[in-house]
Amino acid sequence: MEFRPILSALMRNKVSMVLIGLQVALTLAIVCNALFIISERLDRMHRPSGMNETDTFVFNSTGFGQGYDVRSVQQADLQLLRSLPGVVDATSVISVPMSQSGWSTSVNLQPNQATATADTALYMVDSHGLSTYGLKLVEGRNFTPAEIGFRTVNDRAAPPSVILTRALADRLFPQGGALGKQVYYDNGSTPTTIIGIVERMQTPWLDSDYIENSSLMPAYLPYGNTTPYLVRAEPGRRDEVMKEVEQRMIQANPSRVIGRMRSIEQVRAVSYAGDRAMAIILGAVIFALLAITALGIVGMASFWVAQRTRQIGTRRALGATRFDILRYFHTENFIITTLGLLLGGVLAYALSLWLMQQYQAPRLPWYYVPVGFVCLWALGQLAVLGPALRASRVPPALATRSV
Amino acid sequence: MLSMNHLQKVYRTHLIETHALRDFSIHVDEGEFVAVTGPSGSGKTTFLNICGLLEEFSGGEYQLDGVDVRGLGDNARSRLRNEKIGFIFQSFNLIPDLNLFDNVDVPLRYRRFAAAERKRRIEDALARVGLASRMKHYPSELSGGQQQRVAIARALAGSPRLLLADEPTGNLDSLMARGVMELLEEINRQGTTIVMVTHDPELAARAQRNVHVIDGQVTDFSAEPDLGQHPAVTTAMPA
Repeated sequence: MEFRPILSALMRNKVSMVLIGLQVALTLAIVCNALFIISERLDRMHRPSGMNETDTFVFNSTGFGQGYDVRSVQQADLQLLRSLPGVVDATSVISVPMSQSGWSTSVNLQPNQATATADTALYMVDSHGLSTYGLKLVEGRNFTPAEIGFRTVNDRAAPPSVILTRALADRLFPQGGALGKQVYYDNGSTPTTIIGIVERMQTPWLDSDYIENSSLMPAYLPYGNTTPYLVRAEPGRRDEVMKEVEQRMIQANPSRVIGRMRSIEQVRAVSYAGDRAMAIILGAVIFALLAITALGIVGMASFWVAQRTRQIGTRRALGATRFDILRYFHTENFIITTLGLLLGGVLAYALSLWLMQQYQAPRLPWYYVPVGFVCLWALGQLAVLGPALRASRVPPALATRSV
Repeated sequence: MLSMNHLQKVYRTHLIETHALRDFSIHVDEGEFVAVTGPSGSGKTTFLNICGLLEEFSGGEYQLDGVDVRGLGDNARSRLRNEKIGFIFQSFNLIPDLNLFDNVDVPLRYRRFAAAERKRRIEDALARVGLASRMKHYPSELSGGQQQRVAIARALAGSPRLLLADEPTGNLDSLMARGVMELLEEINRQGTTIVMVTHDPELAARAQRNVHVIDGQVTDFSAEPDLGQHPAVTTAMPA
């Protein structure tokens, strides 16, 4: 291989080599970190919420006028909703996962405990809650209708029973055996018995430190005259049921407004819109950087081929085959790219360190840089192929032509 | 060493046909020093290109050191060129970004010689042209005459059977030209066959044999008295 003479020739044309090398270095550093951020965002966007998202939707019912009895309307609404064709189940709720709005509190192992054992999101449901959310009960039992009571937003009394997520149960009782144990909510002294454990249910907040810690409490909790409902439709009938529900709810009680009707898929899309936008923007940046780098290599190689046409003819006259010429330009590109990539590897880890310090970003996994090396090597070799093929077609007779 | 019989070279475009060489025959024996002369456009560079396997020909026969080059592929021609022919160009054609050592090394690398063998040959060749002490210098640091000596060293390093020189003193002043010519004569005395294209009658006169080309045809040849015994030298006159 001609590494040494090519390298020493390059050292006499440092400016072009340094410019392309720096471009490759910056590309590697930015592409590795941007790809990692995209991967993080995609992982975050695809976290399972624990609930059925494809067949469910939520809406608010807000009544007006004196004599509007929210409790009786709520019971009538639930009866109506559950009776509609295409509806699997329905329940009143206070929040849904990913909605970015809900209730939270502390949960302790002892009454009046000074420091909380864990934090948890609160979901208030009736005995149809598990079925409507589509949660998977892995231990214990569901609420019975007798356990469901009416609460107000100012009511701080702890319910007698609760269903926890597996993550919260494990957090409270790392040794296991959470079922049947008693816990204390809101720094209170009234015990609540764990009667069931569901596999998973995320909190409403995407950035929560305790996103898998949720508690389902047996209660109806209207906000004034407003009741949010969650409805689960039969598979494939959600949109049809959404329209039907809106009409039937208005018909059932014209003195109210049905609002904020949206599917849980819409809730997810809106909540993760920022992550999606970030991934798209970074993807565009990566594409642009790679395109600019590839074009830079094509431009430099084309310029060098044009500049060295006579030299290529001379090499051919001295015995170089077309493949030798092709290999010369590929080797030259390999050297420049490798020097750039070595610098870029250091820059990639330095950039990751800076992001960790400034934005608490996770550390760039080590394998991103070697994978980036291979990809940019391949890109460089691909980019130089066209000019190198042109060079290989320079006839040897060019060596004897006067310029 | 080389034998061309009734060689034709036609350049074709969609409008015209140009006969660069027509019915061109020449035979050069091993150890000869032949000068090919002729006015500009006469076809002497085309002859040199075909002779050096830099271009293909349209018809006729050409044998180089016993090898019939008709129908050889590009790779085979490159290998043959690399092994049997040394080139000396009018503009030296040194690679400006390589030092003298690496310049002389270029054809040797294509020959796939081992590193130690290449080093020995480069040092010998540069010593032969009197530039052994300047191996690490770059072409731009040398005079024109010195650059042509490097080109000669590059041509000699592979121990070619045939040296092709294209106006080797064309870019040199008379003093440097004389030095280069003396070097070529010495190389020829040591047994290397040389074919030199030139339009300089003084240089041509120093060769053992002159071949004059006009309009792509050999029109005359002359030989010094002691070279009259070359029976292989022929000319082919147009019909």
